[in-house]
Amino acid sequence: MENLQELLHGFTIAVTVPHLLMMVVGVLLGILVGVLPGLGAPNGVSLLLPLTFGMQPVSAIILLSSMYWGALFGGSVTSILFNIPGEPSSVATTFDGYPMARDGRPTTALATAFGSAAFGALIGVILITFLASWVAQVALAFGPPEYFAVYFLAFASFVGMGGAAPIKTVVALAIGFAIAAIGIDTVSGSVRLTMGVDELVKGVSFVVAVMGLFGIGELLVAVEEEFHARAVSSKIDWREVFRAVGRLPRHALALLRSAAIGCWMGITPGGPTAASFMSYGIARRFSRRGRYFGTGEVEGIISPETADHAAGTSALLPMLSLGIPGSATAAVMMGGLMIWGLNPGPMLFVDQKDFVWGLIASMYVGNIVAVALVLLTVPVFAALMRIPFVVIAPLIVIICVVGAYSVSNSYLDVVMMLGFGIVGYLFKKLFYPLAPLVLAIVIGDKAEDAFRQSMLLSKGSLGIFFANKLVTCLIVGGIALLLLPLALQLARLRRKPAPSTDETAVQETAREKVII
Amino acid sequence: MISRRALELATAVLTGSFGVAVVVSSLDNGIGWSSAGVDAGTFPFLTGIIVVLGSLYNLVRGVVPAARLANVPIAITPLELRRLAGLFVPAAIFVAAIPLLGMYLASAGYVFAVLAIPRYQSVPRALAMAAATALALYVVFERMFQVSLPHGALVSALGF
Repeated sequence: MENLQELLHGFTIAVTVPHLLMMVVGVLLGILVGVLPGLGAPNGVSLLLPLTFGMQPVSAIILLSSMYWGALFGGSVTSILFNIPGEPSSVATTFDGYPMARDGRPTTALATAFGSAAFGALIGVILITFLASWVAQVALAFGPPEYFAVYFLAFASFVGMGGAAPIKTVVALAIGFAIAAIGIDTVSGSVRLTMGVDELVKGVSFVVAVMGLFGIGELLVAVEEEFHARAVSSKIDWREVFRAVGRLPRHALALLRSAAIGCWMGITPGGPTAASFMSYGIARRFSRRGRYFGTGEVEGIISPETADHAAGTSALLPMLSLGIPGSATAAVMMGGLMIWGLNPGPMLFVDQKDFVWGLIASMYVGNIVAVALVLLTVPVFAALMRIPFVVIAPLIVIICVVGAYSVSNSYLDVVMMLGFGIVGYLFKKLFYPLAPLVLAIVIGDKAEDAFRQSMLLSKGSLGIFFANKLVTCLIVGGIALLLLPLALQLARLRRKPAPSTDETAVQETAREKVII
Repeated sequence: MISRRALELATAVLTGSFGVAVVVSSLDNGIGWSSAGVDAGTFPFLTGIIVVLGSLYNLVRGVVPAARLANVPIAITPLELRRLAGLFVPAAIFVAAIPLLGMYLASAGYVFAVLAIPRYQSVPRALAMAAATALALYVVFERMFQVSLPHGALVSALGF
């Protein structure tokens, strides 16, 4: 009950005129970056980040998180109307959303998507409301070894459950750690990995990395295919909106199942993209109309959308209560928290009650604002898609360049951003996952500190990671997740001794396509 | 045309050399255990080793089972490569021009060049868009958010 009281207090912070305005601006900007190819939630949020430095942390987080909700919704608009996913996490929405819209029911497809997305988000927020402070309370007792174990578990779950090739995930993670180590070492004060470049002493900002990896990288992938924005009608028939939303309860099972998958994937860092694909796959397998999936099935829209938003929302739970972001965008927001002078983690629930509960309350309100705004603005943003890509692309390049520069007024950052762009392109092209890379850049330092503090406590013995039940469980769980892909591969080999190489190659590419 | 295999190899070599650089550089900071606890170079050293090993694995996987990748021989077609260059080369020139021309002139020139030279837009429209871009940058950053963007060596040489 204490939680509800805190929540009510949060509402008094979130529901004020300036904060409601913040939500509207955030959601609109979010839909914009969600709709535009090449700009997504992670780099949209990091673009806005330098502009929030002068704000109150709670106002800043409301702006940024609203942008996140907007981007999640915006990505679905283009998926359904244009068959172009504006966000990686809404790729699965194109499978049934676009066919339904193409067959003359765009309003039904959009309303179903937004309705189930809102439901997923709601479940995610409810989970945060009741679970986050409890998790934080448990985490208050954590020492450095426990923290390192939790970080280890988070990173291991990327390898075990992220879906991309395990070794590629490991490489992406380790590169992120190395990038995080560049600059002055917080423990000893010595300068590390600058490779003789003096300016690197300040380190590599995650904003620069995100701009390049997600902004320029995505742009380069997008430019390869020519866009044919052949829109189906983007007129909204309001009566059909209410009818479609009214029909949602008939799919209660699919809604609940997808929300559960989404919450799970959001809390254990699997991310919204993996969640939406997993949910779609499971729905197709279990639905009685599974063989009609891909032709405009209602459950084919409900499943990925609910899971996408449930994961996106619940990704903030570990960020708030443990200081471990559950998705790339949450990682960027957590970087923001640190810049605003807050220490993400359990102490937030003790020291910064207003901030935490203001944010949680704003998530309820922000999602309602987002659903209303996205429905109202669909025609406007759909018109935006008719602007040729050749005009939008240079503008996005300029936005990324200025964004990278404004982090610390450094030209080197701009050059590095461009370099990250090439890396982002190569990684996307070859299915290296980007989210773990960003996560490692943001929390690499903290993971390292936790490790070194543990070592100081134990005087250099790794035994400290097996000193009590909790730590042992976390570490063993992490190791199990690391070994999971290997075990699955061995099991597959035993079942099918010699599969024809052609078949596996086809399966492999199909699988890779689905993952990213 | 660039094959998937070549791209995998190139990326593995790229990540691998980054790993080697990290390993070599972290040796300067000292690795292992000293009186002050774990030395500063230890953690980067370990991540560097992981990057190198992982890259080697990806390298070998990229080379050996040729049959697996046979179904996706082409990663980038010539047409795609041309489009990529069409986006990246002007962007790189734009970034290279910033120290000399400053953000405003460089971005206006960039917008004008990519729209007018391949004749996507007429010259007057491209000019208008270029001017609008520079103006929008000025209003948003210099005025609204008080972030000073680089003005460039040329402009300061002229005495602004």
